[in-house]
Amino acid sequence: SGLPKDLMPGPYPRTPEERAAAAKKYNMRVEDYEPYPDDGFGYGDYPKLPDKSLHERDPWYQWDQPDMRHNWGEPMHWDFDMYIRNRVDTSPTPVPWHTMRKHFLIFLSTMLIMFCFGEIYPSYRPVGPKQYPFNDLYLERGGDPNKEPPVVTHYEI
Amino acid sequence: MAAGPPPSASEAYRPNRFVSLPAELDPSTYDVSLEKRRAEAERMAIRARLKRQYQLQLNNPNPPAVIEDPALLRWAYARTENVYPTFRPTPKTSFLGVVFAIGPILFWAAVFKADRDRKEKLIKEGKYERPFSVF
Repeated sequence: SGLPKDLMPGPYPRTPEERAAAAKKYNMRVEDYEPYPDDGFGYGDYPKLPDKSLHERDPWYQWDQPDMRHNWGEPMHWDFDMYIRNRVDTSPTPVPWHTMRKHFLIFLSTMLIMFCFGEIYPSYRPVGPKQYPFNDLYLERGGDPNKEPPVVTHYEI
Repeated sequence: MAAGPPPSASEAYRPNRFVSLPAELDPSTYDVSLEKRRAEAERMAIRARLKRQYQLQLNNPNPPAVIEDPALLRWAYARTENVYPTFRPTPKTSFLGVVFAIGPILFWAAVFKADRDRKEKLIKEGKYERPFSVF
């Protein structure tokens, strides 16, 4: 609504001239400009920037927008709102990612297998049926108070 | 049987889809060729030009009400209005559309129908135990 049509994103660039024009439109070098592959997904000529989150950008540089770590006119990543500092962080991890994944999967699978095992073969202290007092709760279960309740003994001597 | 020596940092830190490599293990850090420096200089020139445009608007004695960021406008336009004109039905998009758009509807319709049929059968046979029954 604010910019003229030729400064807005358009269809996938086919000729080198279109690529150069698109790179100039997005304020990028022609060599840096790489559009998304033309798979019909709806990206058009939008540039494919490296998938780095805003956590990785220099915190001490004087950005025009310090909270977004973004300069005026700089092309924004397609998933810019995912890579903000409150959300996804792609900074290098202290432990290699594959090691983290391996350790996590080992732990998770061990715990799941042990829990499943415990469900199939439960183990607990010996239990017997529950014993109720007052002749097996004769009056509470609606027995006639005028009749003699049957004597219930839970022990053997 | 002892395992081999533990992998070195560069072997363990294989590049992956989710996090970046640390700067020390990234080969582009140690690339000091002239092409790279020329590229960096060109990028800095673009950045300086954009900064100048922005600062001129910012420090204008009669600044505009809102300093529009063309990059932001392009980003919003690309994600909302430019998707339909540039979409094209291909085998891949059709397959994904079927799997993610039509698949769940059919799946849940089948699940609910089967559940209701099972309950109806139990009610007809008189075997259905009503939950939350007040009787």
